[in-house]
Amino acid sequence: MSCLKEQFDELRKIYPDEIKDAMVLPLLQMTLKAKGHLVESDALYIADYLELPAMQVKEAMTWYSMLYRTPVGKHVVKVCRSVACSLRGEQRIVAHISKKLGIKPGETTADNKFTLLEVECLASCGTAPMMQINDTYHEDLTEAKIDQILEALQ
Amino acid sequence: MSNIEFSIDDKKLEALPGETVLKAALRNGIDIPYLCYHPCLSIAGNCRICLVRIKGRPGFHPSCNLPVAPGMEIESDCEDVSAVRKNVMQFITLNHPVDCPVCDKAGECKLQNYHFKYNGSASLSIDAKKHKPKFYDVNERILLDAERCILCSRCVRFTHEISKSGMLGITERGQQSRVEHLESGAAKDDYSDNIIQNCPVGALLSRDFLYKSRVWYLEPVASVCNGCARGCSVDVWRRKHHWKVRALGSEKNRMAYRITAKQNDDINGRWICNKGFDLNKQINDFASRATKPAIGGMDATCQDALSEARKLIFEAKKPAAIVSAHASNEELEAFKKTLGSRVEVYVRKDYEPAAGEVVEDELLIKADKNPNSTKVEELFGKESFSAAAGHDLVLVWGDNVEYSALSGAKIIHLATQKPNGNPDVLIPISTQFERKGSYTNFEGKVNRFEQVFDKPELVLHASDVFGRL
Repeated sequence: MSCLKEQFDELRKIYPDEIKDAMVLPLLQMTLKAKGHLVESDALYIADYLELPAMQVKEAMTWYSMLYRTPVGKHVVKVCRSVACSLRGEQRIVAHISKKLGIKPGETTADNKFTLLEVECLASCGTAPMMQINDTYHEDLTEAKIDQILEALQ
Repeated sequence: MSNIEFSIDDKKLEALPGETVLKAALRNGIDIPYLCYHPCLSIAGNCRICLVRIKGRPGFHPSCNLPVAPGMEIESDCEDVSAVRKNVMQFITLNHPVDCPVCDKAGECKLQNYHFKYNGSASLSIDAKKHKPKFYDVNERILLDAERCILCSRCVRFTHEISKSGMLGITERGQQSRVEHLESGAAKDDYSDNIIQNCPVGALLSRDFLYKSRVWYLEPVASVCNGCARGCSVDVWRRKHHWKVRALGSEKNRMAYRITAKQNDDINGRWICNKGFDLNKQINDFASRATKPAIGGMDATCQDALSEARKLIFEAKKPAAIVSAHASNEELEAFKKTLGSRVEVYVRKDYEPAAGEVVEDELLIKADKNPNSTKVEELFGKESFSAAAGHDLVLVWGDNVEYSALSGAKIIHLATQKPNGNPDVLIPISTQFERKGSYTNFEGKVNRFEQVFDKPELVLHASDVFGRL
């Protein structure tokens, strides 16, 4: 945590004390970048650092699907399961990816290349069904399209 | 600033400056449903059941977060609003388990009431309900049934804004959302039981009251917490007369099933501390009650005990009395009128803060753990008993007494609990819950309590005893 703390201190210089709770997300992202995934003690550390209620930081940490709370592979496949995607065949999409990668949602492939997650709304309802791989959105998905995308990443 | 004129359902009303539509409606007796709104907590606006229409504006607006504007015309009882409320109820109950037959909240559940009033239709969903933890331990006093939780966030706001423990939060997102505490141990919160009472549904459950009784068998009786000098108003829930079934046994019929906070804006607002919620344990502690008069440790009749006490007082050269800070205003007045001039009066605090107990905080809890020290001091001063005064008889009134501190004088003890030893005369007296009365709290505010139970047969009311001595 010591070098992380230096990064925290660096960032804190540009945040006024009155809005220190606005630092929760950047600090969580920094910690994620440094450690790969977050656990509750990270939230406690940040809460302690910012003198905020620990539960407030934990709420933020669990809200965002980009803040991983288990170790993940190189490519994180996040399939949206909220209403629009669900109505347009999300379950079919997940089943196809599961079959293709040989893993269930929440699991990582043995070669640590892919992690499959089902997540809440990714705000792309107009192009449902969709998924996000790392930072890229893949929309209007079909089985053929998924095969193409995954093969390109192999 | 003057009041703002507006109307709800064509009824002309006046709102206070800055008041929301919901507050103004409730103040004027208009029933707008709400689940997440609480007058003492911040506005969350997440249950959406309080939606209303504003004439001339499109859409629906949550009335809990809608400030009244001059001339505003609100519609809260039209077909559109009813349809929206029905939809909201359908949404809220989509994953609610509807396990009312085994839910402690049944009978006083807002969700039940609103379902009958605004919904009344079977669930639209044909999918299996979302399952969540059924018995999540919030702390050693509270369980959470996450399936019943409607995520109104009242409990979360309470722990952040009122008790300031910050022990709860809503984790995850969407369908996975649920109320949780940190995995690294449940936080300590001396006011945590208030969240049970303020949960609009049966999600937060008292471990103490779990499956003890259906609420429609019970009735509340107004009382006062005797745990500290604040003297908070509480409701003691006893079995209704109609439901006193002989087959249940006397203990069940004479039991305080639970304690809830009673709103008293002058003294405690809408909250009480956990010690107040534990009052029922004190009331139900029949084993330690003094229920039989005794002379020198041997059981006696009330008549004999009173005669013996009278004789001892008559024979004493220098009698003293120690009055109790747990006595009511009426009892203290009665004592002053009858015995006050015949004996030297000393005062005593029956209870000091127990080990591990919160001594004092900024919200409600006071360091003086006796409910009526103010009145005692007003009538009898502050002087406490000293062995050096050379009294040959002491009439001790109150509990938690060490006889060794009374310097070998003869002892007449008026107690509600079995004493640690054998006084010359023991006269069992009624507890606060077996008579009417009032306490004067640390601010000088008088708070009345009602009789909850009948006193045991051989127990006397202290105010009657003084007159007969």
